[in-house]
Amino acid sequence: MKDIIRIKSLLSTEIETVLNQQIKKEATSSSIYLAMASWCDRNGFDNSADYFFKQAEEERQHQLKFYKYVLDMGGTAISPEVTNIKIEYNSFREVFEDALDQEISVTESIKNIAGRCYKEQDFVTLEFLNWFFKEQREEEYKARRALELFEIIGEQGTGNWEIDKHVGKIHYSSEA
Amino acid sequence: MQVREVVASTNWTDVFATNAGAIYQCDAENCWYIDFAGKVARFDYRCLMKLRKAVNNIDIEGLLLDNTKSPDLEIIFICACDDTYVLTLTEIIKFKELLQGTFVMLDLNHIIYNRLYRVAV
Repeated sequence: MKDIIRIKSLLSTEIETVLNQQIKKEATSSSIYLAMASWCDRNGFDNSADYFFKQAEEERQHQLKFYKYVLDMGGTAISPEVTNIKIEYNSFREVFEDALDQEISVTESIKNIAGRCYKEQDFVTLEFLNWFFKEQREEEYKARRALELFEIIGEQGTGNWEIDKHVGKIHYSSEA
Repeated sequence: MQVREVVASTNWTDVFATNAGAIYQCDAENCWYIDFAGKVARFDYRCLMKLRKAVNNIDIEGLLLDNTKSPDLEIIFICACDDTYVLTLTEIIKFKELLQGTFVMLDLNHIIYNRLYRVAV
C-alpha cells in the first residue's frame, strides 16, 4: 500500500497547523506595526512612523515566507483573518513597549514551533526556522534599543523629539 | 455533475473497517474509497484531509447536551468534493471512529514504509 499522505506532503498535520498559526501571528504583527505607524504619524513622530512602516513591511515578508514554505511542502496555507488591532496608545513610550512585547511573543512562538519539530524529528522545517531565529535577534535588538532611548535621553523637554530623531538610526550589525 | 460508477475493485487495499463502514485505498488512483452511510465515495488526498478536519470539528458533546428540539443531524459538506454526508449523532460518532482508525493505520503504513524502504540505517 502506497504512503500517499507522505507522497503528497512533507509536513505533518500538526506542524502544518502551527505554521498556519504563525502565518496569522506574523500578519497580526504587521497590522500592529501599521497601527503604530499611524499613531506616530498622527502625533508628529515622523521618523518613528517611518520605522514602523518598515517593520510592518518586514513582518509581511515573514508572513509570506511561512506561507510559501507551507505551500512548497505540499500543505495548505491559510490566508488569515486579522481583527482587533489596537489603534490608540496612551504615550509615545507605550508604543515601543508594545513593539518589544510583540517581538518577544514572535520569538517565543517560533521557539515553540521548533520544539515541536524536534519532537517529530522534522529537521527540514527546523532548518527553515533557523533564518527566523537570526532575524528575531535583530528584531528584538532593535525594539530593545528603541525602548532604551527613553531611559538614556529621557522624556522631559524636547526628549520625545530627540528620541524620534534617533529611532531611525538604530542599526543591528552583529558579526555573531 | 459527473456521474461516476464505483465498482469494487481488487486493487483496493483495506485500510480500516468497523461494523459501521470501511475505508479502502486505491494505489492506482492515489485515493481512498469510503464505504459509509449506504454509499461508497471517492476521496483524494486534499478531500480526505478536509473531511477529517470537518468531522473533528463537530462538537459531539455540545450536540449531546443540546436539549432544544432541533434534530441532531449534521451536514458534512466538503468544498470541491462531490460527496456530502447528512449524519445523525450516532453516525457521526461511528464515522469519527472510522476516520481515526484509518489515520492510525495510515501513520503505521508511513512508519513501515520508512523502516523498510527509506531509512538506510
